[in-house]
Amino acid sequence: MSSHVRLEEVQVGEAIPVASKVVQREDVKAYADASGDQNPLHQDDAFARGVGFPGIIAHGMFTMAHVVKAVTDWVGDPGALMAIDVQFRAVVFMDETLEAGGEITAVDPGARTATLSVWAAVERDGKRVLAVKNSRAQVRLA
Amino acid sequence: MALNTELIGKEYAPHTITVEREHVLGFARAIAEDAPVIVDAEAARAAGYPDQLAPPTFVTTMQIMTSAQIVADPELGLDYARVVHGEQAYEWHRPIHVGDSLTAVPRIADISSKGPLEFLVIEAEIKDAVGETVVTARTTLLSRGTAGGGG
Repeated sequence: MSSHVRLEEVQVGEAIPVASKVVQREDVKAYADASGDQNPLHQDDAFARGVGFPGIIAHGMFTMAHVVKAVTDWVGDPGALMAIDVQFRAVVFMDETLEAGGEITAVDPGARTATLSVWAAVERDGKRVLAVKNSRAQVRLA
Repeated sequence: MALNTELIGKEYAPHTITVEREHVLGFARAIAEDAPVIVDAEAARAAGYPDQLAPPTFVTTMQIMTSAQIVADPELGLDYARVVHGEQAYEWHRPIHVGDSLTAVPRIADISSKGPLEFLVIEAEIKDAVGETVVTARTTLLSRGTAGGGG
């Protein structure tokens, strides 16, 4: 009932492994059905173009779920996540490769917790675009 | 049209769900989550949990319902076509598991503006069947170009 990562094993400044996923139309449809968010912005290309996007975009919460997964895959237990606060800065389009990761910014030996700065990004037109930035997560360590 | 700041502090109707195994598994598949404590009840119990855990962001499924009431409140004056999800925060007091009965009570925590942007902050306390807080959720929606009644 806890993390697989021991507090003594981590250091401030250490990066966690990057989680990478190609975002596909069927993923976003599955997320709409599972979450109940049926906004046409995530399903209907014509609607998305009508508000200025080249096509449908992924749900912000879909992107957030992958940030969470990067953290919980590293810590080894989804139940060890105590808090997260993300700022959405850019949308994610279909067939883009979404990467998520983080870096340890503080450890609390008394509480046996760690705080991480977390991010999500895609490559677009040869540039790295941050979809999530200035964001942080807190986890319980073993 | 600017948002109605008189609604700061307004509470909306509670929304209750029971966390169903199939819904948890469907949500996990949609986000490619395959942690044993989420997809396997035996692994969850072996790790000391009462049943399979829901993925942490499963709580989002409740917010779709709670936010919908606020977004649709005619007194608020929100034009949903102008809305962007700016920020999302969760604090888990314990993990959510299959079988939990959860009740969310949403309220408007704040309305503010910065330049042409307005910020609508919705907070929800999500409690279990015995009234203990399980998750605190805070959602910040951005309304573009509506501050100051400028259109």
